[in-house]
Amino acid sequence: MRGLLVLTVAGGSVAHATLTPMVSVRGVTPDLPLIMVILLALRRGPEFGCLAGFVTGLLQDTAGGGLIGVQALTKAIIGFGIGVAGERLRVSQPLVQVPGLVVLTILEGLARFALLQIFRFPAPFGELMMYVVLPQALFNGFVGAAVVLSLAASQVLRERFQGQPS
Amino acid sequence: MKIQKLLLLVSLVGVCLLLLTLQTRGYGSAAGDLLTMVTAPVQTGLARASRATFGLWATYLDWKNVRAENHRLREEVQDLRVRALRVSDTDVENQRLRRLLGLQEKLPLTTLSGEIIGREWGGWIRSLTVNRGRGDNIPRLSAVLSPDGLVGRIVDVRPGASIVQVLTDPASTVGAHVLRTRTPGIVEGDPRGTLRFKFMARDGASIQNGDVLVTAGQGGLFPRGIPIGTVRAIDNRGAALFHYAELTPAVDYARVDEVLLVTGDTQRDLTAFFPADG
Repeated sequence: MRGLLVLTVAGGSVAHATLTPMVSVRGVTPDLPLIMVILLALRRGPEFGCLAGFVTGLLQDTAGGGLIGVQALTKAIIGFGIGVAGERLRVSQPLVQVPGLVVLTILEGLARFALLQIFRFPAPFGELMMYVVLPQALFNGFVGAAVVLSLAASQVLRERFQGQPS
Repeated sequence: MKIQKLLLLVSLVGVCLLLLTLQTRGYGSAAGDLLTMVTAPVQTGLARASRATFGLWATYLDWKNVRAENHRLREEVQDLRVRALRVSDTDVENQRLRRLLGLQEKLPLTTLSGEIIGREWGGWIRSLTVNRGRGDNIPRLSAVLSPDGLVGRIVDVRPGASIVQVLTDPASTVGAHVLRTRTPGIVEGDPRGTLRFKFMARDGASIQNGDVLVTAGQGGLFPRGIPIGTVRAIDNRGAALFHYAELTPAVDYARVDEVLLVTGDTQRDLTAFFPADG
C-alpha cells in the first residue's frame, strides 16, 4: 500500500509535467499534484501530507525547470496544514473540499509568489494572479469536484459490495 | 508525537530553504542535476506512453471519422446517381417531347398528341394503347405518327383509350413506295415482328439496300410521304410476279412513348417534314 502511495505521489508529479498540457484549456492546466496532496493529506494525516507535498513539489520543481524547492516548500506546508485541519475539523463533505481546494490553490500561488520575491525571482503579481493562479484555482476546483465525487461513488459501491451476503 | 510531526515539517522546510538559498548563490545546479537524472527517464517513459496512447486514440478517431465520412460519401454518391438518372431520364423525355411538339407544330395536319399506356407484343397481335379515346373524337383508322415515321393506325376507339395496330402486326398492310425510285408496293407486317415490302418484279428492278420507303397516300387513309422503313435485304424470287424486300422500321415500336394521332385532313404530302434518310 505504501509502495503504491509512493508510486502515486512520485509518478503523479512527473506525469503532471508530461500529461497536463494535453488537458489544458486556453493555456490553463490543473495542478494535479496539489489536488492529490490535499486529498491524501485529508485521508492520511499531516505527516503523510507533508511528505507527499514535499516529494511532489520537489519533483514538479525539477520537471518544470524553475527554482528547486519553491513548490516543495509550499506543498509540504499545505499538505501538513490540511492534514492537521482534517484531524480537527469536519472537512469530509465535498461542499467543503471543493471550495477549499480553490482557496488553497490561491494560497499556494500567493506563497509561491512570496518565495520568489524573497529569493529575488522576478514575477508580475497582478498578471500571475489574473491569468495563472485564479484560472488554475477554478480548474482545480472543477477537477477536484470530479475526483471527490468519483471517490464518494466508489466508496458507496465498495460498501454496497461489502454489505452483500456472499 | 506532535513534536515529531513538527520536526518533520521544520526539517523539510529547512531543506527547501537550503535548496533555494544554494540555488540563488549559484550552488544549486548539482542538486538539480541529480534530481533530473532521476526524473528524466520517468518523464521520457511517460511521454512515450502518452504519445502512444494518444496516437492510438487519434488513429482510432481518424478511422472512425473516415468510416463515417465514407458512409456519408457513399450515400451521397448513391443519391447523386439517382438524381443523375432522374435528370437523364427527364432530359431524354424532354428531347422526345420537344421533337414530337416540333413535328406537331410544323405538320400541316390536325393532330392530337397521345401517350402510350400499354403494349401488346405477342406474335399474334402487335398493338399499342394510347391514352386518347372516344372523348377526344379520335376517328377509327386514324394514322399514328412519331417524329421518326409511321407507327400504325387506330383500330379500336374506346372510352379514354385507343388501340393502335402497329405496322409489324401480321394483319397490317400499308400502301407505300420507294422514295428514290417511286416503286409502288405494299408494306406488310410479319409474324416475326419485322416489315416486308411486297412489290411487282417488273417495277422493282432498281431497288437497293438502304432505300427509304414512305407511305403512298393512296386511299386517303395515311398522308403521303411518312417514312416507314429502310430496305435491308431484297428477296429476289426469280420469275415470280411479286418480289419482297425486308425492311428496317423507321420507328422503334417497342420504345415509342409519345405519338401524334392524325385527326383531320390526310390528303397532304408530308415528305418534306421528315428526314430524307427515313
